[in-house]
Amino acid sequence: MSQGTGDIKRRIKSVKSTNKITKAMELVSAAKMRKAISRVLSTRSYADLSWDMILRLVKKVDTSGHPFFREAKETKNIAIILVSTNRGLCGSFNGQLVQKVIDSIKIHAPEVTNTDIITFGVKGREEVIRKNLNLIADFPKNDITENSVDVLPIAHLLVKEFKAEKYDKVFVAYMDFMSSLKQIAHVKQLLPFSSHIDERLGHIIHEKKNKEHVDIDEIAEFTFEPSREEILNSFLPKLIEMQLFQAVLESEASEHSARMFAMRNASDAATDMINELTLIYNQARQANITAELAEISAGAAALE
Amino acid sequence: MKDFTLKIVTPEKVVLTDKVSQVSVTSSTGQITILSNHVPLVSQLAAGEIVVKQQGKEENLMAVFGGFVEVVPGQVIILADRVENVAEIDEDRAEEARKRAEDALQDKKVDSAEFAALTANLEKEMNRLRIVRKYKHKGIRTGKH
Repeated sequence: MSQGTGDIKRRIKSVKSTNKITKAMELVSAAKMRKAISRVLSTRSYADLSWDMILRLVKKVDTSGHPFFREAKETKNIAIILVSTNRGLCGSFNGQLVQKVIDSIKIHAPEVTNTDIITFGVKGREEVIRKNLNLIADFPKNDITENSVDVLPIAHLLVKEFKAEKYDKVFVAYMDFMSSLKQIAHVKQLLPFSSHIDERLGHIIHEKKNKEHVDIDEIAEFTFEPSREEILNSFLPKLIEMQLFQAVLESEASEHSARMFAMRNASDAATDMINELTLIYNQARQANITAELAEISAGAAALE
Repeated sequence: MKDFTLKIVTPEKVVLTDKVSQVSVTSSTGQITILSNHVPLVSQLAAGEIVVKQQGKEENLMAVFGGFVEVVPGQVIILADRVENVAEIDEDRAEEARKRAEDALQDKKVDSAEFAALTANLEKEMNRLRIVRKYKHKGIRTGKH
C-alpha cells in the first residue's frame, strides 16, 4: 500500500513542475502578445488605407499592360505564402492554417494544375512537408519581425516570379488577428491586384467595414504626378511588401495570443489534475492508516 | 470654406485623422496645396513638409520623408514613410545627425546600394533641419527650447 502513495506523490510532483513551466510560458506569451498586438494595430491603418487606395485605382485607371495587373485567362499556377510560427505549443494555430491552405487549393482545384507553397516559419514548413504539398522555398523567420526588411526577400521573389509569368496568382495565408480570443485563418490574394475579392476564401472583418466609404463613381479620373507609370512602379512593390509585412504582424499577434491561451488552459488543467491527485493521495494514505490500525488491533486481540 | 477629412498615416502609427480646411505637401514635382474639391490625384511625396490648416487652430507643421498622397472626393490620404512633428525635432540633434549622415557618405568604401541609402538619409536629415530652422523664428516652439 505504501508503494501506492509513493507513486501518487511522484505524479503530483511532476504535474506541479509542469504547472510551473506552463505558468511561466503563459506570462512570457502575455508580454509578447501585448507587444505584438500594439504593433499590428498601429500598422493596420496604413496597410488598409494603401490597400483601399489600390482597389480604387484598379477601378478607375486603365491598368492593362502593367505587369502587376496581369489577369491570366486561365489560372494554372499559383503560389501561396504560408506565414506560420517557429514554435509549437500554440494550440491548433498551424493546423488550422495549413487546413485553410488545403481548402483553398481544393477550391481552385479544377483549373489550377500546380500550387507552390513558400513557407515563412518552421512549423508551417513541417506541416506542409507532412501533408505532401509542393514546397518550393522556405524563408527563415524571426520570432518577432521588427520591420518590413525581413519580408523583402519574399516580396522580391514573388514579384520576380509573377512578372516572369511563372504564377498566375499569388496568395498569402496567415492568421488574421481579430482579438486575443479569436483568430481566423485567412488566405488573401496579393497578385494580381483585383477589385473583385474572392469571397470563397473568406473575408476579414476589418477589411469589410469601410467606415468612410469613398464613392468611386464621383471620381471622373485620377491625375498622376509625376506620371501614372512612375507612381505605379514605385507604389506597387511597396504595397506588396506592406501587405506581406502586415500579414506577418497579424500572424505574430495571433500566435502569441493563441499560445497564451493554450498555456493558460494547460495551467488550469494541471491545477485540476493536482487537486484530483491530492484527493486520491489522501484517500490512499487514509486507507493505509486504517489498514495499519486494523492490523494492530487484530494483533492486540489475538494476544488477549 | 468647406472642410475635408485628412488622414496621415505611417507604417508606425496614425499621425492625424481630422477635418481640415487646407493641407500643403511637397510632392516630387513641387509644393502643392490641397483645398476641398481638389481633383482626384495620386502623387509621390518628396522629403519635405506638410502644413495642415484647421479652422480656429494654429497651423500644424510636420516633416515628412517620402510617401504618397491620394486625393479623393471629401478625403485626402497621406501614406508617409515617416512623419515628425516640427515641435518634436531637436535642432541640435538634427544638426548632429546631418553631420553623421554626411560623414558616412564621405567614407569611400560604400557600394552603390549603400550609397543610395546614405544619400537618402542625408537628404532626410537636411530636410528636418531645413524645416525646423524655417519655422523656429516664426515663433513656433521647437524641441530645443
